[in-house]
Amino acid sequence: MSNDTKNVSRRDFVKGAATGLVAGAFAGMGMYSYSPWAYERLPKTERKMHDFGTCRSVRVTNISETSWFNNAHLIGDIHEAGGLLVNQYTLNWAPFANGKGSAQGSYDDGISSIKDLLPHDIEKAWEIQKKLALHPENPGGYSCLIEVEELDGTMHKYLLDTGWSYKWMNDCFKREGIDQMLRDQEIEALFISHEHWDHFWGLPVTMKYDNRIPLYVHDGFYDEGLQYIKDSGYKGELTIANKPVTPIIPGMALLKFDVPIINRVFGETSLAFNIKDKGLVLISGCCHQGILKFADFAYANLKYDNDKFYGIYGGLHISPFEDWDPKYDDLVISLGQWGFERIGCNHCTGHLTAKKFIESGYPVVRGTARFRSASKDYLGNGDKITFGC
Amino acid sequence: MDTSSFSYLESRKLVKRWSGPIPALINTFLILAFFYLTWWIFQDPRGLMRMYTPYVGYMVCRWMLIIFIWLAYIFDFWPFKRTWLNKTHPLIKGAVLTIVSVAAMILLIKGFFVEILGNFGIAYFNPDRLIAMGITDFYSIEYAAEAIMMFAAIASWLSPSWVVACENAPWQKIGQPARGITIVLVTFFFSMVVYFVTMHSHMAILFYPWQKFTAICPPYWEQFANTVSGNFHIAWIMCCTVVVWQFETIWERYPFNLIKHDTLRRVASFFGIIIIALALCFFLFYAQDLVWGQTIRGTRRLMAPDWRWLHVGEMAIFWLVPTLYLNFYCGNWPTKFSRPVNVCIRTIVTALLAVVVYVIYYKTSHLFLGTQKGFSHPQQFPMIPMIWLINIFLMNVWFMDGWPGWKAVPKTEEELAEVHEEIVASDVKWTPGIAKGLVIGLLVGLALYTAVIYLLPWIGANFTIIK
Ligand SMILES: [Fe+2]
Ligand SMILES: [Fe+2]
Repeated sequence: MSNDTKNVSRRDFVKGAATGLVAGAFAGMGMYSYSPWAYERLPKTERKMHDFGTCRSVRVTNISETSWFNNAHLIGDIHEAGGLLVNQYTLNWAPFANGKGSAQGSYDDGISSIKDLLPHDIEKAWEIQKKLALHPENPGGYSCLIEVEELDGTMHKYLLDTGWSYKWMNDCFKREGIDQMLRDQEIEALFISHEHWDHFWGLPVTMKYDNRIPLYVHDGFYDEGLQYIKDSGYKGELTIANKPVTPIIPGMALLKFDVPIINRVFGETSLAFNIKDKGLVLISGCCHQGILKFADFAYANLKYDNDKFYGIYGGLHISPFEDWDPKYDDLVISLGQWGFERIGCNHCTGHLTAKKFIESGYPVVRGTARFRSASKDYLGNGDKITFGC
Repeated sequence: MDTSSFSYLESRKLVKRWSGPIPALINTFLILAFFYLTWWIFQDPRGLMRMYTPYVGYMVCRWMLIIFIWLAYIFDFWPFKRTWLNKTHPLIKGAVLTIVSVAAMILLIKGFFVEILGNFGIAYFNPDRLIAMGITDFYSIEYAAEAIMMFAAIASWLSPSWVVACENAPWQKIGQPARGITIVLVTFFFSMVVYFVTMHSHMAILFYPWQKFTAICPPYWEQFANTVSGNFHIAWIMCCTVVVWQFETIWERYPFNLIKHDTLRRVASFFGIIIIALALCFFLFYAQDLVWGQTIRGTRRLMAPDWRWLHVGEMAIFWLVPTLYLNFYCGNWPTKFSRPVNVCIRTIVTALLAVVVYVIYYKTSHLFLGTQKGFSHPQQFPMIPMIWLINIFLMNVWFMDGWPGWKAVPKTEEELAEVHEEIVASDVKWTPGIAKGLVIGLLVGLALYTAVIYLLPWIGANFTIIK
């Protein structure tokens, strides 16, 4: 063979090889990637089975689940400011309002108008802010009291979240006797699930009655949020949760999820309980991580009785603004497979979601629709739910 | 030779104004500055108009893209005259053509979708009707924008396909505007059909109860895609959009341009693009399962099948950015080898660059785009900034002849003749050498794929992009 033909055939070989390489890679992608064989080779989840102890029972008192009273006003304000990515501290809602209108608010302006009054005169502080804020009558708040009974009968009380409106939360605290419990330092800790207005901005209300209560927040809190803790008059020991699992007492742990959330908030912490002979109970603020992510994380990491998902309480953040997306139907369709026996949902779960859960035959615990809660489809303000005996 | 038988983009040649990398550097700098300025004005949630709500901004950037494609590729800049295009300063051309595109976009969105379809056909295209039925203002606008946006996503695959794969057939011979109008109407019709079989069910289950009398609910793809969300379709349709442009730019229509028979070549190109896109789509989905673990239906965000499908489309768009950049600003590097080798190198280089863009985006974008860190914020779509950037590339290269780094000069007769020859390539012919190479290449390609899927779980376990 002459050198020339050798060169030509080598050049042809390279052309063929270059074409084949790209074609072969795409062929592999197309024929194998989404096939059953591709999934057979994936490893099964290794469960860590972290033993965080056992408790006898958990009782939740819904102090308030009505975070706001008029959905159109709330979402209208967000809309006017530029949508779901706008920083919540600039929306010009109390207590960080400055009277300059939509999207012109700032933490510094807002707090400077009321700082001297926190936390001893929250009534006056809220009155001042109401004059500056958009839709000042709209805020409510989310907060619940959690009473945990240890195996030996010892009782522990905790607060999850502290609501939004100073006035509304103060009234709700009084209605459920939380003010006195705080004064008596009966409540062992306040867990802030996440930095959102309706869970966190009512902080001075708790501080008014007990400003040394141990406080837990997610490590994704922004500077404004951390400053607000100081400006609210907090004098106690702040724990910034920075581990996936933080044990609290036997059978109770704080779980941390790193998720970006609407209106510039990052991360949520939720509570998990292992109830003797029953199984796992999950309690959340908004559950922005998603209830099944929450459950799946517990499945992969924790050990609990009967290896069973037992109950849920809290906002499940599905259709908080009565909006909808087909992915929420994915949850409605698949939640049944997880086998929860008691579903106590409210707040940002959305009425439509509760309705669809009930239509699907899920064990949703109904409420009484008192104290401005809008529907008996779910646990309303003042309602209680018990997990375990 | 009569230049009118060539489109404007075919008839011009872009030459660098300065030698070396200076033109590319200057254009890159100006494009990024313009990107950031316009981002702040129109999209940024901290900026002036804040269209990133997110769906309004999403709709706008996708419709801009499709109108640019229509204007430059399908209408060949009609009604603007060739003499005007040749003589006007690029800055003026860019401004005029962009303003005309924006006007056309507003007319289409407001006039056609909202007013005509939304008033006489399908209620969800018209926010006012949704508001009147009790949905909040904000979500009414978001839902309508989502539907209108999806229409553009489908058209941004089908419209260029007609030019790139089908070579404008069977209307390649008729003049403008008849050709443009015909192809826009035909691709609009096909987009409509695809919209009905992919997104209409998605929209119908947004409302309570499921609108079973007007759409198929639950949708037919539920079992296969493990979700009722239309994001499954966004995945493969975005892959189609990206593959069309790869085929047109860095692949130079190889290998389907080897087919001599016109109809066969066009059909093979059109369906070849879809098959390649499906392969890419399934791979990108599986790749996420390898890195993050298998999806859990009904959960949200990172672990949810609907988000993973969406992210397939997002990853594909991350590949389009370096693809177009290489073609527009790096002279389609490399060009010195044979076409198959050039194509192979460009494919690998752009895929690696896509990974780089992806990592940079997720590591840094929250620092300057007004967004938040994290992969799966349900209201954040990396496609918005990426398409916004691509739109600026297109304005620069199609409307402004690559100003200031490049300028347009008319092609010589010989160069024009080459354009026609280009349609059927003759540089690769079937020989035993090629056949041998092809077999070896296929095996290496499969081995490469296997290596990647073994590497991905290890990357997932050892690297974190977002701390
Ligand atoms: Fe909430
Ligand atoms: Fe929230």
